[in-house]
Amino acid sequence: MVTMTSLTLNNAGFSYGDTSIFKNITLEVHPGSTLCILGPNGSGKTTLMDALLGIHRLTHGSIYINGKDIRHLSPGQIARVLAFVPQNHAKHFSFSVRDVLLMGRSAYTHTFGSPGPKDLRIVDATLAQFNLSHLAHRDYTRLSGGETQLVMIIRALVQDTPIIVMDEPTAHLDFKHEITVLETIVRLIRNQGKTLIMATHFPNHAFFLENQGLDIEVGFLHREQLHMEGSPSDALTWENLRRYYGVDTCIMEYNTQKTGKIKQIFPISTTKEA
Amino acid sequence: MRLTRFYIILVTIPALLAGISIFFGRYPLTIENVFNVLFGLVLNHNVDPTHLGIVVHIRLPRIILGAMVGASLSVSGAAFQGMFRNPLVSSGMLGVSSGAGFGAALALILFDHFFWVYPFSFGFGLIAVLLCFIIGRFTSANQSITLVLGGVIVGSVFSALISFLKYVADPMDELPAIVFWLMGSLSRADYTHILVAGIPMIAGTIGLIAVKWKLNVLAMGDREAQSLGLNVKAYRLFVIICATLATAGAVCVSGVIGWIGLVVPHMGRMLTGNDNRRLIPACISIGACFLIIVDDISRLLTSSEMPLGILTSILGGPFFIYLLKKTKGRQW
Repeated sequence: MVTMTSLTLNNAGFSYGDTSIFKNITLEVHPGSTLCILGPNGSGKTTLMDALLGIHRLTHGSIYINGKDIRHLSPGQIARVLAFVPQNHAKHFSFSVRDVLLMGRSAYTHTFGSPGPKDLRIVDATLAQFNLSHLAHRDYTRLSGGETQLVMIIRALVQDTPIIVMDEPTAHLDFKHEITVLETIVRLIRNQGKTLIMATHFPNHAFFLENQGLDIEVGFLHREQLHMEGSPSDALTWENLRRYYGVDTCIMEYNTQKTGKIKQIFPISTTKEA
Repeated sequence: MRLTRFYIILVTIPALLAGISIFFGRYPLTIENVFNVLFGLVLNHNVDPTHLGIVVHIRLPRIILGAMVGASLSVSGAAFQGMFRNPLVSSGMLGVSSGAGFGAALALILFDHFFWVYPFSFGFGLIAVLLCFIIGRFTSANQSITLVLGGVIVGSVFSALISFLKYVADPMDELPAIVFWLMGSLSRADYTHILVAGIPMIAGTIGLIAVKWKLNVLAMGDREAQSLGLNVKAYRLFVIICATLATAGAVCVSGVIGWIGLVVPHMGRMLTGNDNRRLIPACISIGACFLIIVDDISRLLTSSEMPLGILTSILGGPFFIYLLKKTKGRQW
């Protein structure tokens, strides 16, 4: 993917009635970069994601995709630029995995149309790329949480967009699947050149991506503001974690033979005000 | 190829059932009599005018209308279930049936001529759905849930109004007419019904066929459907308009036939799975078959016709249980 799609937020703000969720966010997401938005539960990450996707309209400021205000773009036009991986996918009807993935082609189908053979080929090829072809005919309501999340990520790939937005992609996953999903994310960025915007409440995920040698920008959503703090190594300091999360931590570095230096945050206690 | 076979089955079975049903009825016609009429029509022979009248003007329109009504109610139910992501809703979910019932009862009381029942039931069916929409506008919360809730409220208000009309109706002639209408019947079927009520039924059904795949996407939830590129509000409005037209068209000529719009979609789900690309056509076919069969039984069972609403529940219930046992709810 070489299309240079830029995403810009200009003084973006959103409030539900009188309750301001975030405000004055000005930010440029560069093509091919990865933005990790950290913040505790309820800090407004999901609302920010929804605003990027055009689901919520900003109450202040604007969001531009390639210089165009998303207020003037149709859901289909936005969906050809931004794909979304949801946090909790509620399953209501048993569809086959293939049928769910085909939905990634919605933005490319006619108003009264269905996806065609070309779309099916894209789905099958993308599944094969991740060695998950065996899932194609499985009932997706019977997939495990980790498999579901992988399917959601593959659906975003099938959507064929330069930018992918993920909201807590590893919430509710077990130990191994969490890593599987993170590894898949690394693959998207490294091999497919996707621009990624990921909201997470686990600061260690930013370190995981950095440990894999990716270029990550970290922003903390805190008290309605997005504080951009640079790379994970610069951003995830004990001062910042104390300020934004209210948790006292220590940052551990460890050298492994295989991967070189890796970093992790160890929480110690919640910050006790002196 | 499998898809072609699928569609051939969907067309063949109701056609066969309709063909068989033409031989059934209260008036004693032998198989030979019916064949005489059918061949007579094709070959332009002289046929017994009584026999001709019964086959062509009583039995045939009834079968055609039954198939259309069954198909319309089923397809609307399937579309609503998918779109509202709720397997318990049916074609009457947004109050169409109760609204139409009220309209019919009102017309039966106000006018002497039965004709007024059709525009009144159709019109009040649409008004009920419109009221649901207005209720849905009062909150900014999840519109699907408010709509479902609005349907429950509007439905119960109209049910109360129907009870009121029954209470004030003349117990000698108006009350029985209202009660009978509310239980559903195809006994008044004629070609005018097929032509006039057929317009909203067929238009609505075609509209739902056109968006059948989009219903899959809508079943993912509003937020995901929009992020996948669907104009959710526009599609939701379109589905509601189509399903309302089809249901109101069906109800105004047949009365309230319950159960079909809830259960036939589930029969479809068990047989074809939840992919609306197959489910929607399957529901059209199964709904048509189901009502043709039920109406055959209604004509044959007792000397005075059993109302359809009673039979659909009595027959549909056990058949549904049988299907549940047979398929073990697979794919469902």
